[in-house]
Amino acid sequence: MSNCDVILTDVLIVGGGPAGLATAIELANSLKQKGEEKRIMLIEKGSSIGSHILSGAVIRPKVFKDLLTQEEFDGVPFDSKVSTDVTVKLNENGEIELPFHPPYMNNEGNYIASLAQVCRYLAELAEKKGVEIYTGFSVDDMLYNEDGKIVGVKTKDTGIDHNGKKLKNFQAGTVVEAGITILAEGTRGSLTKKVTERFTLDSGKNPQIYSLGVKEIWKVPEGNIEVGAVYHTFGYPLQDKSEFGGGFIYGLTDNRVALGLVVGLDYADPSFDTHAAMQIWKTHPYVSKFLDGGSLLEFGGKTLPEGGWNSIPKYYEDNLMIVGDSAGFLSTARLKGVHLAVRSGICAARTAMSAFEKGDTSKKTLSEYEERVKNSFIYKEMYPIRNMRAVMNDGMVLGGLKMGVQLVTGGTCLFVPKTIADADETQKLSDYKGVPFKERFAGKLEWDKKLTFDKVTGVYHSKAMHDEHQPIHLVINNKAQFQSSNIEEYGLTVAAACPAEVYELHIDRNSGDKSLRLHAENCVHCKTCDIKSPNGGITWTTPYGGDGPEYTNM
Amino acid sequence: MTIISLMKQVPLPSEMRMGDDGLMDRTKAKSIINIDCQYGLEAGLQIKSEYPDAKLIVCSMGPPSFTTSLENALAMGYDEAYLLSDRKLGGSDTYATGLAISHMLKHLDFGKGKDEDYIIVAGRQTSDGDTAHVPSQVAEFMGIPQGTFIETAEFIDGRVHAKRIIEGGYQMMSLPLPCAMSFTPTGIDPRRSTLSGAVKARKAEIKIFSIDDVSLTTDFIGIGVPGEGGSPTIVSKVATIKSERAPAKMAEGHNEVELVESLLAQMKEGKNTLEVKEKKAKKAKKVDDTLRRIDFRNGASGILTWAEVVKGEISRPSLELLTPARDLANSLEDGTTVTTVIIGKNVGELAKELIAHGADEVIVIDDDRLEEYRILPFSEIFSQVIAEKNPEIALFAATTAGRELAPRIGVKRGSGVTADCTQLIIGEHKHRNKETKEQVIYAPILESRRPTYGESKLATIIGFVCPQISTARAGTFEVPVRDESKEGKITAFTPILDESEFATEIIETVIGEGGMQGLFEADVIIAGGRGTTSDGMQMVKELAEALKAQGINAEWAATRVMVDEGVSEYARQIGQTGKTVRPKVYIAVGISGAVQHIAGMKESETIIAINSNAKETIFANSDFGIVGEYQDIMPELIEKVKSGFTFGLEVK
Repeated sequence: MSNCDVILTDVLIVGGGPAGLATAIELANSLKQKGEEKRIMLIEKGSSIGSHILSGAVIRPKVFKDLLTQEEFDGVPFDSKVSTDVTVKLNENGEIELPFHPPYMNNEGNYIASLAQVCRYLAELAEKKGVEIYTGFSVDDMLYNEDGKIVGVKTKDTGIDHNGKKLKNFQAGTVVEAGITILAEGTRGSLTKKVTERFTLDSGKNPQIYSLGVKEIWKVPEGNIEVGAVYHTFGYPLQDKSEFGGGFIYGLTDNRVALGLVVGLDYADPSFDTHAAMQIWKTHPYVSKFLDGGSLLEFGGKTLPEGGWNSIPKYYEDNLMIVGDSAGFLSTARLKGVHLAVRSGICAARTAMSAFEKGDTSKKTLSEYEERVKNSFIYKEMYPIRNMRAVMNDGMVLGGLKMGVQLVTGGTCLFVPKTIADADETQKLSDYKGVPFKERFAGKLEWDKKLTFDKVTGVYHSKAMHDEHQPIHLVINNKAQFQSSNIEEYGLTVAAACPAEVYELHIDRNSGDKSLRLHAENCVHCKTCDIKSPNGGITWTTPYGGDGPEYTNM
Repeated sequence: MTIISLMKQVPLPSEMRMGDDGLMDRTKAKSIINIDCQYGLEAGLQIKSEYPDAKLIVCSMGPPSFTTSLENALAMGYDEAYLLSDRKLGGSDTYATGLAISHMLKHLDFGKGKDEDYIIVAGRQTSDGDTAHVPSQVAEFMGIPQGTFIETAEFIDGRVHAKRIIEGGYQMMSLPLPCAMSFTPTGIDPRRSTLSGAVKARKAEIKIFSIDDVSLTTDFIGIGVPGEGGSPTIVSKVATIKSERAPAKMAEGHNEVELVESLLAQMKEGKNTLEVKEKKAKKAKKVDDTLRRIDFRNGASGILTWAEVVKGEISRPSLELLTPARDLANSLEDGTTVTTVIIGKNVGELAKELIAHGADEVIVIDDDRLEEYRILPFSEIFSQVIAEKNPEIALFAATTAGRELAPRIGVKRGSGVTADCTQLIIGEHKHRNKETKEQVIYAPILESRRPTYGESKLATIIGFVCPQISTARAGTFEVPVRDESKEGKITAFTPILDESEFATEIIETVIGEGGMQGLFEADVIIAGGRGTTSDGMQMVKELAEALKAQGINAEWAATRVMVDEGVSEYARQIGQTGKTVRPKVYIAVGISGAVQHIAGMKESETIIAINSNAKETIFANSDFGIVGEYQDIMPELIEKVKSGFTFGLEVK
């Protein structure tokens, strides 16, 4: 560590999404109000703010009014106000539009937005308020003092080849020592994962469970969709009870459509492929009519923490707070997390302010963060539906019924199925008794490259790039076990699950031997592999800063 | 010692493809430091690591938004950053850019009689300009030696030892200080900046100069205006290049023997052509006789070309050059001559060869010290020949030597240079004087056309200073038919050369181990994809070897999958993140045709696809196709090559 440069800061925020930026803005505002000067640094692994941001997104605007002044709020670049709001059940041959909205799904007064654009705007505000934002730097290490307490992070060393050998352009990472470190890494954060394990922050909690959303933005002919129109679909091509999820189609300005399919990663079929399901979903006439004559502009994938209140770990420690998706603040019933991310950032910032005033950043003071969350709408929204996602494993009918019971009881419900980590829900090829994905959709898995695309074409439209000269950022933890179990018994589940063709099952033509081919450079940073690989087979680590997708409006 | 890095900001390459009309929207495009310039920056940092007392400064010229990239250079480890930014510089060509940058450097107190302890490091060329001129021009304006197309450089005992990439190999050279070098993107990869570096850079001041600050007048910068001043060259028009391929001809047959036979037959027949929609016949241009015609040549006359000698022979691109030279001479006044300059040791005999290929006069400079090409004496000789002969046009082949020589000569003569042209014709230019409103015609004028913006546009560039200098892309023009009976004049010329012109030493020249530079020159590239894993691309390599044995310049390459697999080194990767090539024949074997790969080979003249799946995208981007198994088709094809089939290419 002696060769590393050291930077000192009062607050370090890791991640430039809505949660991290809200934390920065609220804290900068509070400091200014009190006339105090503290250094706030925010570092982001994307090449710029927004380049790794992907969200639906239909946003509840109210929380931005709490964070921003009226003038600042008026400048938020929402795309359009929700005009039409329809929920529809798709069948293989047809559809039924629901005459009502499922509970929590009403979008009146909400806005459709590109979250990347909103984040770029928030970053501008934050910088004006004195927050130092550095993009294109990834962090792979938490730093601890001799008492084992968190004291900051270290950015990645660069200039290392595939085998870990230092190259001529080697650059040691920078140590950032921070009074308070705030993890705002987004879904399945790699540092969050490390600290959760080290401090057993998830003890007594349900495991976190996730969905994978595969999203595209299209340019379409005038008149294909109304600006502000919101359609949510459920049903086809997903199977009730075994696959939880649905699709979204939003009408954007400038004749663009944002659409995607979100599927819970707790499915059992080891060959289930969310990307392929999304392509098949697009061929349903109800969906394809919106895209007719259009062309694909952007593609991306992201996971969402859907476990709800019972899956949220303890989100503070000495000198540490965790905000947004990293902590699991997301309302599955509303399909929204942005407003909760922002609110958690506000709560964390106020707690940091209190810690500065007390001169104490230990968990004794930082526990106020939890109080603030419990007194905020995060609790009010998330607690009553704490069992919602779990009961949906009973399918839409029984699950829906149990959901109804919860609405009356304030979330209490008998017979709540146990929540199991997504990777553990995956069944071995030989154990899976359903019809495997490929057979279910036999004949439909050919992509016409007009409406439907293969994964690699998707990657092209995500503009993902990775430096060829770096250690592979997807770590196979136990090669022997990965071969004998993940490959042989599960048929390489992640090859199907990954939306970007990072993993490929190679079968030797002559010997029939199966092996893994890894195309790490395709990675769009969704973390599905880390979540869904059986036996904890794969750990997603951060590649060099600035690598990864280059989303513009996702 | 000071290491001065010259750097340009360019749009992100991945964003250069944006827009339905194929045009780049620079206002929205994200910007980066030009890739080659990043290698220049790294080269500077490497020299610094050997010589820790060196100061590192980075200079750029462009709009104020360039400070973003200068900040990144500071974050990489540079000490100071300077930007020359002035609206009056808008529209400057490479000559004007070189002039302006040299003024900035002189203002920073570098130059003759000032601080002479410095090294200039730059990128080979920019992705948006693609000329490779500026480093040469800066070197000449500063009056210092240069090394272009450098891969790696070390600072040893007060001199710089550099590896210069040349056709088919490399050259080790030793340069004195001060000197300028431009770097290829094949050396040491540019480092990532550190967070601590970025924090430091954020606080650093980037000094911005106007042209007045650096004592630069508008005489030779900004948009060129004939008769008045500004840059010596201007872009007179830009046309869109349509490059759609007609549907592939698919080989027919029941087995590999029939399929390969069918391919051979179809290649003989030629590829499908696109039906071009008949454009409405353009109205015949009215020649406006009433307008005043200006002959700006002031007595300059004739075409001058350079015959590059490599290993005692005239290089093929230099012979090709005689074709446009002759055509241009024919389009000009009667009696316009083509004069070719040949420099070397015992090159007198080669003069006759040049006459047989169309030169009217050959000027021979025979000097033992000039056996190998060296930029300083060669550019000086040309300057002297031009002073004496006063040609109106000078042409060079766009080889590594031609691309650095032409701009350096241009600076000596006050001419701009157009790089890498594919069409050279005589035309005219209508100009309207802003003040008098008078319209005049400048004619005859050389119209140099060159593809630009990733081959999507064809730009026409003209200049108003004689000689009008252009470099021609190798392989574009045919070698003229040899005519033994043709007569011409052979003149010996003795230049006056100062000992200082030999300050740069060539330590050794190695041909045949040029790394993967060969891929850019190969006439045939056989690329293997996923479908060729079974034998580790063995048969792909065999086909390349078989072609080489037939005397064809062939190379093998790979897709990214094969690089990931470790079957091929990264240097052979074709595609978006690898190399972009345009050989005469590209044979895609077992390649599905992902967009990322297509981006790197779509400009190839003829594309042949071999794949077992008829639905693969590759066939939509090919001229000829065979649907069949790799293991079956390849041996058959290799046999055909061994018995003389060369994909329609002439054996040299």
